[in-house]
This record gives sequence, structure tokens and C-alpha cells, in this order.
Amino acid sequence: MLKIGQDKLPELISAWAGGARVFVPQEREGTSIFTPWDGKGKLTLGQGNTLEPPKDLFFPRTEAMYRYQVNGPAATLETLPPLEEKRVLVGIRSCDARSLLIMDDVFLTRGYVDEFYRQRRENTRIVALACNEAQPACFCTAFGIDPGRAEGADVQMWPGEGGYLLEAITDAGKELLKQAGNLLEEAGNAHPPAAAAPGLQVDTGGVTEKLQRMFEHPYWTAVSRKCLGCGACTYLCPTCHCFDIQGENQGDSGYKFRCWDSCMFSEYTRMAGGHNPRPSKKERLRNRFLHKLQYFPERYGKFACVGCGRCLDRCPVNVDITRVIREVKEVTL
Amino acid sequence: MAEAARVNPLVPQVGRITKIIDETPDVKTFHVTTETGKPFTPLPGQLAMLSLLDVGEAMFSITSQGPDHLELAIKKVGMLTDALHEAEPGQSVGIRGPYGNGFPLEMMRGKDLLFIGGGIGLAPVRSLINYCIEHRKDYGHLWIIYGARSPADLCFKDDLFNNWPKVENCRVDVTVDRGDDTWQGHEGFVPAFVEELNPAPEGKVAITCGPPIMIKFVLQSMEKLGFKDEQIVTTLEMRMKCGIGKCGRCNLGSCYVCLDGPVFTLAQLKKLPNEY
Repeated sequence: MLKIGQDKLPELISAWAGGARVFVPQEREGTSIFTPWDGKGKLTLGQGNTLEPPKDLFFPRTEAMYRYQVNGPAATLETLPPLEEKRVLVGIRSCDARSLLIMDDVFLTRGYVDEFYRQRRENTRIVALACNEAQPACFCTAFGIDPGRAEGADVQMWPGEGGYLLEAITDAGKELLKQAGNLLEEAGNAHPPAAAAPGLQVDTGGVTEKLQRMFEHPYWTAVSRKCLGCGACTYLCPTCHCFDIQGENQGDSGYKFRCWDSCMFSEYTRMAGGHNPRPSKKERLRNRFLHKLQYFPERYGKFACVGCGRCLDRCPVNVDITRVIREVKEVTL
Repeated sequence: MAEAARVNPLVPQVGRITKIIDETPDVKTFHVTTETGKPFTPLPGQLAMLSLLDVGEAMFSITSQGPDHLELAIKKVGMLTDALHEAEPGQSVGIRGPYGNGFPLEMMRGKDLLFIGGGIGLAPVRSLINYCIEHRKDYGHLWIIYGARSPADLCFKDDLFNNWPKVENCRVDVTVDRGDDTWQGHEGFVPAFVEELNPAPEGKVAITCGPPIMIKFVLQSMEKLGFKDEQIVTTLEMRMKCGIGKCGRCNLGSCYVCLDGPVFTLAQLKKLPNEY
């Protein structure tokens, strides 16, 4: 176990920035997000979790895939390469670390590997930070996540007295700590602090099995009544990964990009000709909850929710997934 | 660059349209090839993502294929298909695939096959009909029951009236919702026509595709005729963007229609949410 004082943290980030772009939680225009450390302002690694999850670093809001040039009846196409930049992501919490494993299932398995995602994922080192303060809207332990130790991290950090404790988990993590040189000190017999108990508790046991029998239940009409279909939940969700493919065309040339999409929007499933298998917010909200709690577990063997609490914290009408889980379990069939 | 093109499954090949056949006032069949020949070799029932690079991209069934081209029969229903209907031979396109599972060829082997199509719904079924004709010995009797709104709306008229009736051990029955002055054939809706023709379920697999309302009533007719859910096969349509089970939108429960479908038996469909 190693340690570093709070005052030395900027130097540690600078040391890592020698070989990679280092992303840390920072306030930008009133929103906390992961952005490259610019050496200015106070480096705190965030008060609680960031408002926006770091999924944008692996699965950007928009990502150009190829350019095209149309010359009358002919056309040429130029594939754009994936990003090869080395990155270090510092201060990611256990919930968001689990979300990367969920995204890995989507983008790296089942016959097709998404090269854009794979490159970003493999080129990013993960330095996780344990949670020692409870957040009012989070519930990671409901999904078997340990707020004190993140899955898939290269280095685990814990808040300690006047600074942080650090432990390398992977070889890449050992390499990072080696790069830090004498900024780090032996922590002696210091122990990681106890992890915070999340602010919300919910028991997910049996919810998948219950939902398998609830597709036609009137509950979905009731719970979706107040939904505005704004899509904030999917935008802020660290595991929502739906995307659209669109083009930007100017005259004879342009490029195709993929961009985030949301199952909360009617256009998402509307077919040419007008038929829409999910025509109202009832079907759309039902699909979102079933995807998180039934379909994803059926397909990939894990829940597609990490209990970060962003969706329920930011929903303008208080649609709350923990409440949905509780109510689903209580509903009479 | 070539390396990246190979590994990103969302990037199409550049191809061109070599031939356009007018099937009906709003359906055309497009032959698509690339510089190096056929874009890929699909199984019957599989799908292709076709694009006009400066307009958009959508998923279509592949209705047939030749040694160096794919055939896609496309109805004019939206922005991309409107533009495709304006295109002329030589037009460049993007094409990627093949996607989806295709028809269960092994399960159908040795069986009599009953094809029930309506309108443009014959397009995906035709890939299987042509496959069975090419592999004639592997399949039993072929019976094609097809209908459209009017005589002008019948797709693949050459196959329906010239090619398929000449195939050994193959029967073709055609109906239209409403005939015209020259129509001498059957008039009436497909489900009623099927009941009238009264095919026996023994040893058969029925393959149906058409407008949702037709499928709904055909399934009721099949049940009346004694067909079991395992004997009925259909192919679904959904909005798709990626074709590889990642972009999210074409799910039926935990299945992705682009990857695990588009072909399902009725027995499989009944286990999935009714959301198509």
C-alpha cells in the first residue's frame, strides 16, 4: 500500500500526463465531468460522483466512422481510423467501473468487435477511487458492487488522511505507480477506510423472474404516465449504449457518424411507412426498465444497472428505478 | 486504411446498381454488385444494409442472388426508398451484410413447403423459394400462395406466372384483393384464400410474410387448418441501424431481430414479447 498527500496530487497527474492524456473529475460550466487535467484550479477528484458518467471517453456522443465522396454515379469511401490516444482515467467510482464491464459485453462480444470501442478501452488505464461518503441517490450494492473496490481497475485509490492510499491491481497499474516515482510513499500499516453505505437500499432478488411475467401488466401504464420522454435518464446512464448512424452531407461529399440515441424517443423504433412497435411512452419506458433488469440479464448474465443513481437524481418527474424494482416485486399478477 | 475498413463492420462496401426492374407501381427490384463481384453470399432470408451515401441507409431483405449480384426488391415508403426509386442503373450505393439468421434450411429439409405471401412480403420468401428450386431434391412439394391488392400490385409476375409453375412438383396460386377488367384469376384476401385451398398440415412447413394485418389473419387460418406453431415460420421487419445487435432498437425481449432473427417460428415468437 502506497500513499500520496493531497498537495502532491497535481504532480502525480502531471507525471502520468507525460505518456497519456489524463482525465479527472472537474467542474465545467456547472457540470461535473471527466475532462483532461489542465493544471489549473483545485484538484479534488470530485465531491461524490460526477454528474456525467465517463462513458463518453469510450463511446463518444458522436464519432465519425467514414467519409464519402459521390461523383455522379460513382462514389469513393474513406474509413476513418479509431482513436489511438493513450489515456488514464483517474477517480472513477466502482459503479462506473462496473458499467465498463457491461459495455464490454455489448461492444466486444457476440461475434462482432467494435474496433472504435476496443481501441479506446485498451488504451485507457483505470485509476479507481473508493467511495467513503454516502451519496443520497446511489445504490451500487444492490448489484453486488463494492463501493470500496472497483472491478477492472488498474489502480485502486482510497481517500485517506490528508491524501490518498493507492494499490496497483494490474501490471499496467504497477507501471503507473512506478511512473509516479518518489511522489508516493510507503503507507506503512495504513488500512483503506471503510466503504460508504449507499444512500438507497433495494433488493433486486427475483426481479428478473418477476418481470418475465409482467410484460402485459397495467403497471407500465401507471408508471409511465408522468414520463416526459426527455431521455435525460438514458443520456446520463453509464450503461445505456444505444446509438444511431447519421450522415453529414455537403454537396457531393460528407461523412457518416454514429451518435447516442435513446429508446425514450418515438423515432428510435419508427419504421419507414409509419409502423412503430413502441408507439407510446408506456412501451418505451417498459422497454427501458425491462432492458436493464430482464433482457440484459437474460442475454449477458448481469443487470444493466450499476446503481449510480444519476437517472433518478436528474429525472424531472422523479421516475425512480429503485421504486420500480420495489413496486414490481410487490405487484400482484 | 484497408485494415480499418475490414474491422469496422459498420462501414459498407461501395457497390453499384446494375439493373432495375419495375415490379409494381411502387416496388422495384435492384441488382447490386461491386467492383470485385457479388458483395457477399447470403443465405436465404438474410438481410443487407443498403445505402445511398448522401441520403441514408436501411435494412432490406435480399430477395435473390446471382453469381455476381444481389437482388433487393424495395417498396417506396420513405426518404431513402423514394431516392432509390429515382436512381438509374450505374448509381453507386453502399452495401453491407449479410445480417440475420436466415430460414431454417435444415429443419425444412425433406418437408413439403407452403409459402404464403402478401404484397412486398414475397420478397424475403422468394429467396427461399429460389433456393429450394436450386436444391430441388432436398425439399418436397413447393406450394406458393400469394396475393396483392390489385393485379398491378403483384410482385415478381414473371416468377408467379412463368417460372415457378414450370418447376417440377410446384404449385402456384395467386389472388388479388380486387381484380380489374382483365383479371381472370381469384379475387379475395390471402387468409380466406388459404382456407379455401385447404392445405393439409402433415409433413409441411408453412412460411409466411406480408403486411402485419395479413400475417395476423393467416396465423389464425393456419391454426384452423391444424398447423402447429413449430410448423409456421415468419420473418420480421424492424427499424435497424447497426445490423449486429449493438445499437439497441430492434429488440424483441432479449433477442435482436437483426442478429437472432429476422426469421422465427411461431413457437419462438410466442415466447417473446408481442412488440413487433
